[in-house]
Amino acid sequence: MSLYRVTKVIQNTLSYMFLITLSILLGFPLVWLVLTSVKDRREVFTTFLPTQVNIANFARIWDEMNLPTHLGNSLFVTGLNVTIVVVTATLAGYAFARLVFPRQNSIFYVFILAMMIPGQAILIPMFQYLKNLGLLNSHVGLALAMTGAPISFAIFLMSAFFRALPAELGDAGKIDGCNEWGVFRHIYLPLARPGIATVVIFQFMGTWNEFMFSVTYISNPVLKTIQPALYQVVGRYSIDYTALSAGLLMAIVPILIVFLLLQKQFVKGLTAGAFKG
Amino acid sequence: MKIFRGEAVTTAVRELREEREATKRRLGKILVPTMFLLPAALFLLAFTAIPLAQAVVLSLQRWNGIQPATFVGLRNYRLLLEDEVFRQAVGNTIYYTLATILFQTTVPLIVASILNSGIRGSTIFRFVYFLPVIISLTITGLLWSMIYEPNFGILNETLRALGLKSLTQLWLADRSLVLPSIIVVSIWQSLGFYMMIFFAAMQSIPEDLYEAAAIDGANSLQRFRFVTVPMLRNTIIVVIVLNTINGVKSFDQVWVMTAGGPNHASETLGTYLYRTAFGTLGSSNPQLGYATAIAMVILAVSLIFSVIQIRVGQNRNNES
Repeated sequence: MSLYRVTKVIQNTLSYMFLITLSILLGFPLVWLVLTSVKDRREVFTTFLPTQVNIANFARIWDEMNLPTHLGNSLFVTGLNVTIVVVTATLAGYAFARLVFPRQNSIFYVFILAMMIPGQAILIPMFQYLKNLGLLNSHVGLALAMTGAPISFAIFLMSAFFRALPAELGDAGKIDGCNEWGVFRHIYLPLARPGIATVVIFQFMGTWNEFMFSVTYISNPVLKTIQPALYQVVGRYSIDYTALSAGLLMAIVPILIVFLLLQKQFVKGLTAGAFKG
Repeated sequence: MKIFRGEAVTTAVRELREEREATKRRLGKILVPTMFLLPAALFLLAFTAIPLAQAVVLSLQRWNGIQPATFVGLRNYRLLLEDEVFRQAVGNTIYYTLATILFQTTVPLIVASILNSGIRGSTIFRFVYFLPVIISLTITGLLWSMIYEPNFGILNETLRALGLKSLTQLWLADRSLVLPSIIVVSIWQSLGFYMMIFFAAMQSIPEDLYEAAAIDGANSLQRFRFVTVPMLRNTIIVVIVLNTINGVKSFDQVWVMTAGGPNHASETLGTYLYRTAFGTLGSSNPQLGYATAIAMVILAVSLIFSVIQIRVGQNRNNES
């Protein structure tokens, strides 16, 4: 028994050493980012810990980079995109899970096929397509361009959520005189809230963090969303690490808040993406 | 007779009415689902199906975006086979993908397994490991560019401070170090994500399996080898597939850190496609048809692995 104890203690110690080392390796870049963002410009390369907390960097990059504009642009694009994706996918997901119609399975697979298509495949034709519609350099255009595959994936998630709800509820509703829309609107939709939350968070993060479409379809510097705006600004601030760090940090904050508030759904949404089918 | 005719008429009227009702019902049966599916269908058609069809056509054309496109058949694909840079991009993409598969499957699996062993503080560790996941690829790319910067970056600074000046490197400017350096960033970012997938899957392994193994005298390493790994077989496959798909598509981080340089040493399919289509500074001669042919290669690989992923997902659902 004591030998068992000893191995247990050794095992635990080794485990903790491993976990703590890993925490330092993974956490260090972020700690460094925070520390750099509050340093004085002159002490960036001389000390690891800042001698005093200097918030001026945030004010400087906030104004010079025009951060409020870019954060606002991102918020608009993300808001519109998430709304479209969630509304369309909730309706369609419900239809596949709770309604009965001919060729249901084949139609489902056609809808689901879109989520396997990588952005690169449609990047170039979409550029021309948006140009023809007059939607280049437009937030609406960018929000629309990012709807395809996400709707498909959200339908997959939503149909799974609706399938998990008991069918008897709908039958009871019909006996009480609800029509199909009423059953959806008053019975299933309120129950699907956790599922909808998961889709919202998942999609919010995807759109907020998107880079390739955003950098391609919007070239007007004022209209850029936050990710390309940060990329663009690097050249100007390549040596000014304090301002750059402050800027990166402020771009992380919105997504961090969402994550802290809704951690559970957040992780659920991300890991749900792993198992399709 | 009169009565008979009267009856016939009422029957006919009733039949007619019933038929109309039935049609109505049948229409209603299709109408309601159609209304539910229509909005999604329109978006999928407009923003996936049509651009995708155009992409297939475009990959068979030569087009610089200004003059009318000319149809060239499979010429773009034939040129790809002879293209030295494309070959390098394929090689780099395979290297990047294999390395990320190796590290981003084994390390997260081990970490998740330790965290699942009932160790205290598991929640905090999971939180710390997951933080990089929520940060965009662009921001992580920029952050790590600062870390790798040869003169002021914290990495070389630290090495110098430790008296290891000989180990300082031009991390992102050295042809042989640039890909490993980018792979480190990828591991830093995705470790927490794959760890969460494994951790979530481990919650469904029955506890009695571990107890039975312990009674049989299995130590924790053996329990990992003979219980955890076999029980997570499908999850491991899914993680490998996800890594493959992400590896083949890799663009954001590489573009932000090196744009495929130096001299194509970190060129991936994604960056080569982008450069061919839009140029590094948007100034060079755009070859949209050729770039789309590269996109079709990415599409083909992604589709194959997505199908595998869904197959495995279905197996997993059937098991549980």
